[in-house]
Amino acid sequence: MKDAHISVRDALYEAPGPKTRKYIVIATAVSLAALALLVFVVVRQFYRTGQLDAKYWSFLARATTWKFLGKGILGTLEAALAAGAVTFALAFLLMLGRISGSRILGGISTVLIEFTRGVPTLLFIYFFFLVVPQLGIKLPAFWKIAAPVAISAAGVVAEVLRSGVNAVPKGQKEAALSLGMSGRSVFLKVVFPQAIRYVIPALISELVIVVKDTTFAYVVNYPDLMQNAKVLISNYDALLSVYLVVAVIYILMNYLLNKASAMVARRRNSPTITPQQN
Amino acid sequence: MEIYELLSQYGDKYILALLTTWKLTVLAFASAFVIGIVVTVLRVSPVKPLRVFGDFYVQIFRNIPGASLLILLVYALPYLNVVLSYFTCVLIAVALIPSAFCSEYLISGINTIDVGQIEAARSLGMTFSKIIRKVVIPQALRSSVLPMTNLLIATMLTTALASQVPMNPTDLTGIVSHINTHAVGGVTAFLISAVLYCATAVVIGQVGNLIDRKVRILR
Amino acid sequence: MVQEQVPVIELKHVDKHFGELHVLKDINLSVKKGEVVVIIGPSGSGKSTLCRTINRLETIDSGEILIDGVAIPEEGKKLAQLRAQIGMVFQSFNLFAHKNILDNVTMGPIDVLHTPRKEAREEAMKLLKRVGVDSQAAKVPAQLSGGQQQRVAIARSLAMHPKAILFDEPTSALDPEMIGEVLDVMTELAREGMTMVVVTHEMNFARRVADRVIFMDGGRIIEENTPDAFFEHPDTPRAQDFLNSIKHH
Repeated sequence: MKDAHISVRDALYEAPGPKTRKYIVIATAVSLAALALLVFVVVRQFYRTGQLDAKYWSFLARATTWKFLGKGILGTLEAALAAGAVTFALAFLLMLGRISGSRILGGISTVLIEFTRGVPTLLFIYFFFLVVPQLGIKLPAFWKIAAPVAISAAGVVAEVLRSGVNAVPKGQKEAALSLGMSGRSVFLKVVFPQAIRYVIPALISELVIVVKDTTFAYVVNYPDLMQNAKVLISNYDALLSVYLVVAVIYILMNYLLNKASAMVARRRNSPTITPQQN
Repeated sequence: MEIYELLSQYGDKYILALLTTWKLTVLAFASAFVIGIVVTVLRVSPVKPLRVFGDFYVQIFRNIPGASLLILLVYALPYLNVVLSYFTCVLIAVALIPSAFCSEYLISGINTIDVGQIEAARSLGMTFSKIIRKVVIPQALRSSVLPMTNLLIATMLTTALASQVPMNPTDLTGIVSHINTHAVGGVTAFLISAVLYCATAVVIGQVGNLIDRKVRILR
Repeated sequence: MVQEQVPVIELKHVDKHFGELHVLKDINLSVKKGEVVVIIGPSGSGKSTLCRTINRLETIDSGEILIDGVAIPEEGKKLAQLRAQIGMVFQSFNLFAHKNILDNVTMGPIDVLHTPRKEAREEAMKLLKRVGVDSQAAKVPAQLSGGQQQRVAIARSLAMHPKAILFDEPTSALDPEMIGEVLDVMTELAREGMTMVVVTHEMNFARRVADRVIFMDGGRIIEENTPDAFFEHPDTPRAQDFLNSIKHH
């Protein structure tokens, strides 16, 4: 019998005949050569411009570098987690507004959701960096980055939560109501906990967007990974290598978050609800 | 500053900024779409190294923060004797990141197709290229209208990266920081840009929904 | 003197493995023009796989499969051309979800046989009428019932003017009340002389329509017989057990 889990990506091709097998072998060899050439050209350019010199890379061997980068990562994670928590609270309120059934509350929530989804994070950051101080409000650098990042993600997460709530079978609510539970406690104790379970993968991948957005922390002088990288660069006079290392760290961090999200999704076998990327 | 005062002083600049944002969005999205298709072809090809390369490409660019990529392009590339204009750097950054997501959406579009339909096409005597053209691509494109709409909006949001480099004319985010460093623009300066962004996003979203409703495949 | 006729479909010593599993063991089978061969057997007996090897949806490890006396090509245009001559009807219908019913039927003729569009449409309408779904021509597959979809799938096969049609459990995915309408169309086809290989669990259909019944178990053809002989007094004890087991259900 057919394997039910076969992906279309593989099913596009049928079992190859002898000619096709030969083509595939040739194509594999040619593409390997082309990729090797690509790597060679890049490495040669690094070599020619002297970027492979030990002085540009020796910083990697120092413990202080990693301590410093570690602090930066911690700064990034702190800002991201704080922003994530605020996002969740805001999103919960917006979601409640949308499903409240009240036209005014629903309308306001919809407008706010669309607003946060349609405005770039950087613009919110400039708002907190430039405009908020003009209003006489003094915020620490931490919140100057965490607050705009949180607001920027709130609309998307509100919609994710709402789709989670909608995915909970109606029978659950009816069963709880028939037990004599009040509408509010039905929502908080029966519907919402299940909704959360559906959307955990989506929430984790939303965290990737939050982590990415915190890289703008340099705008407000908050010491995250990117900002700490700048200090390393002036200390070691090694810009390219430091920024490359930092990029790799970010990529790995986000890759792991995405992996975690996919793993949770697979384990729960829940309907996947994916957020819009940013 | 009052709104009419702002507009009389900076109105032209806002229009230029809006046009810059639109231009970047369109150019970046078009490039992202083309690159996304090419990467997707690599990722579904039967040639292992190309598949691995395509997957690697997507993981890099869907996970790298925009700021990190832009900084590499603007400040690090010159150390390799590659010097690009600010506009080019922004455009590349704003195209490469969505291209990875574009490929992801196309792959999941392909994966919505029932394997049985490909077997049916095969049984009718359709060759590989015909199956791709007549069965796979039409279905994959139809089911990726909504993701692509969201991607276009996301691309527009990503163009705010342009504010991080000196550009003339600047974009809708850059102009807010420009006004506020020259004068006290206050909430209004921010709101004008925000509304222009939102309006663009809403229009894109509506058009996307309209197209989706027309071409959606009933399953 | 009767000249020996070349069989439309012929399998010689066909073997196939799925990894460790030996799913087809030394299969020998020939189907003459106009013959209706019904393959039955318990699930996992290899009958579906056998059916799918005939147009190379499944490859084989060894042996030969001949269509009109010619070995099936292994790849490329030649294989596609051969498949165009053999119809296939699947358990899950597999209609093209993005095309309406009429376009599902005309796609093969227009894109593979290069029939003029107008001609293809006229013939498709005739075929849809013949299977009783012409009123649904403008709808998309998801709007039709399973039975209707399967009848469209049969029309789609017929539009290619095939030499033979393979039916891979055509009624297994259908609700009971729809099985009859599909079997009626198939019976009609058999009457008109279509060469058919049918994998099915419908014993009544096998008994009424088949020229020959093939009983498979464990990847092997256990018994080949006329329907009357097979259902009344099968030669092998395994076939007898199988018939008993389904009678008790």
